[in-house]
Amino acid sequence: MVAFVELDGVGMTFRGRTGAYEAVRDFNLELSEGEFFCLLGTSGCGKTTVMNMLAGFDTPTAGQIRLEGKPVRGPGADRGVVFQGHDSLYDWLTARDNIAFGLRLRGMGARERRAVADRFLNMVGLTGQGGKHPSELSGGMKQRIQIARALANDPRMLLMDEPFGALDAMTRAVLQAELSRIWSENRKTVLFITHDIEEACALATRVGVMKRGPGGTLKAVVPIDLPFPRERTSDAFMASFRQVHELIHAEIHPHA
Amino acid sequence: MHSRTATVIGYVLGFALLFVIWHLASQYLVSSVLFPSPFPVFERGWVLLEEGLLQESVWASMRRIIQGFLLGSAIGIPIGLAIGSFRPVRLLLEPWTEFFRFIPAVAMITVSVIWFGIGEESKIFLIAYTTVFVVVIATAAGVGAVGRDKIRAAQCLGANKLQVFALVALPATVPYILTGMRLAMANAFVTIVAAELVASNDGLGKMLWDARLFMQVEDIFVALISLGLLGFATDRVFRLLIRAFAGRFNPTM
Ligand SMILES: Nc1ncnc2c1ncn2[C@@H]1O[C@H](COP(=O)(O)OP(=O)(O)OP(=O)(O)O)[C@@H](O)[C@H]1O
Ligand SMILES: [Mg+2]
Repeated sequence: MVAFVELDGVGMTFRGRTGAYEAVRDFNLELSEGEFFCLLGTSGCGKTTVMNMLAGFDTPTAGQIRLEGKPVRGPGADRGVVFQGHDSLYDWLTARDNIAFGLRLRGMGARERRAVADRFLNMVGLTGQGGKHPSELSGGMKQRIQIARALANDPRMLLMDEPFGALDAMTRAVLQAELSRIWSENRKTVLFITHDIEEACALATRVGVMKRGPGGTLKAVVPIDLPFPRERTSDAFMASFRQVHELIHAEIHPHA
Repeated sequence: MHSRTATVIGYVLGFALLFVIWHLASQYLVSSVLFPSPFPVFERGWVLLEEGLLQESVWASMRRIIQGFLLGSAIGIPIGLAIGSFRPVRLLLEPWTEFFRFIPAVAMITVSVIWFGIGEESKIFLIAYTTVFVVVIATAAGVGAVGRDKIRAAQCLGANKLQVFALVALPATVPYILTGMRLAMANAFVTIVAAELVASNDGLGKMLWDARLFMQVEDIFVALISLGLLGFATDRVFRLLIRAFAGRFNPTM
């Protein structure tokens, strides 16, 4: 059986004015359908680079990425992306029209579009806020719109690059709980990038820890076999946290 | 609502203050027939309005500005979009824009009069000329400034190249286009006065010139104030448009 997503010896070497830089080397990972995989690593280890290749924004300079056995060539509607910042929202559209953007591309009628968009507005807890423009929304609300926009398009999988990185701790906890609830309901495959160990342990079915660059690669994968919603104060959660923490710690203080 | 009232009150007071200072300056600083107080100027303006002469001049100038400006924008926007979107077009046309934008429209007055005569065509040509390069540069810069994530988001929602252009790049560029048009409008005022001073049978520039010939200082000031007010009004319209398109307005859906 082929895995849902395969990253097979993937590498990325950037060539610029300062010469070549091998950001990612020999990255191997298989994702099965419906899992929530968190990719964890220190800043600059190559997490975004991996995601950009899977999304199809960048082409690997080595190896191959396959989705359901087919090589990835360029971005497509089967992989929804939630970006690190919220510059990807369209300022000239309302929240509702942002969410319905993908549906509009497919030629869905205005009324049906509105109904779907309102359903996803409800799902991310923004009922009745659909008429506002991004400039009138808070940072947390904008990330909710991004998530709703990706989900409304019904992709096969979701790629999320530190979607809650810029939020305060409380908003982040609320959004983590919401995302976890939504995922429990629809069980879409998710690749979620973060550098927050607790976030990874709270959301993921598996956590992958990356080694620092140059030549960033997957160092270890830790399964988190705990039921949802997760009890962050439970002993089992603490044990997972400690396990991941030790892997990360070795990256931050390699000679300790 | 409150801030709008404040804005209006601010404008009224600002203009009133300007006229008070003008009046005081004409009375105590430079009391000379060559620098009239605002009152005879307003009186003269009223007379010119009643006779219909002021409207005629204003309309002659504004008509040329609007026609040339629309023509220049209609040419400049697509060229700017093409330069911003396609590298070969940029490499090909950038030398043109970089060359012509340093030849000011006033320097083109003589050649345009030789080509088009002193009728409407020469002024429309000059206004279009002064508009086109500013709009091209602003539009191309706008296309270049569309956020990478905005385009990527559309791509992974399933947009093809045409959809990315029409639904993302174009609306994201609208505020830049309007800003370019706003700058071009200021240039158009400079150009029209210069062109009408040199070669015209009507318009505010002609009015300025005639007033100088016949030493009608009040007429000069009426023309100057008219230019200021017209410019002020058009600029307000652009500022409103830019604010509407840049933030909340929804031009495409
Ligand atoms: N376009 C590029 N050209 C050259 N080098 C790049 C480019 N993009 C990324 N890099 C380099 O590749 C490495 C990995 O970058 P990447 O953005 O993937 O890190 P990251 O793990 O996402 O970090 P962060 O947690 O800070 O977002 C960095 O050293 C970065 O400088
Ligand atoms: Mg990153």
